[in-house]
Amino acid sequence: MAMESDMVQAEMVEASEFRELSNQYHIMGVPDTVINHGKGKMVGAAPEGQLLAEIMKALKN
Amino acid sequence: MANLLDDKIRQQIGEAFKELREPVQILFFGSKEQCEYCDDTLMLVEEVASLSEKLSVQAFDVDDDAEIAANYNVTLTPGLVIAGMDDDGPVDYGVRYAGIPSGHEFSSLIQDLILVSGRDSGLSPQTRDFLAGLKEPVMLQVFVTPT
Repeated sequence: MAMESDMVQAEMVEASEFRELSNQYHIMGVPDTVINHGKGKMVGAAPEGQLLAEIMKALKN
Repeated sequence: MANLLDDKIRQQIGEAFKELREPVQILFFGSKEQCEYCDDTLMLVEEVASLSEKLSVQAFDVDDDAEIAANYNVTLTPGLVIAGMDDDGPVDYGVRYAGIPSGHEFSSLIQDLILVSGRDSGLSPQTRDFLAGLKEPVMLQVFVTPT
């Protein structure tokens, strides 16, 4: 998605190296996708359609 | 330099890298401050990049090159930006790694290199439509662990 839009940045975060950040977003299991710094969240695998729906939801928050 | 990857893995990556099309540059951001995995990460990406002439690595320091790090929105180290490379330099597609891409994430790194090299996201038309009309920034952070 990041490739398709200049507005999107996608970052892989190694949770055990950055515990403070993981705690901040209450990461309990992985993978866990945090959208716009906590506006949205998707635990587990993120199939394209579902992730898209979560992003749309997060943008409305 | 000792290899982090054994011959079998190097061979598999070499095979996968046949799919590489356009040049890709890995921007590495390290830190002289406490950074347990910086050295290993740089060694790893340099070794990966050595397996294809389409790949290159440029290493930065978040303090010495603070302006560049800020431009790429990199604060965590080790940090990687997987950028396209054209005649004018790196092209940012917003693809980042924070922390060492080891274990399962190592294959994600190889896939991302191929994806950025192909300059094609492979997404569905609906997703592309939505993204094309996107007016607000979207930050996706995928938390993972190496195992």
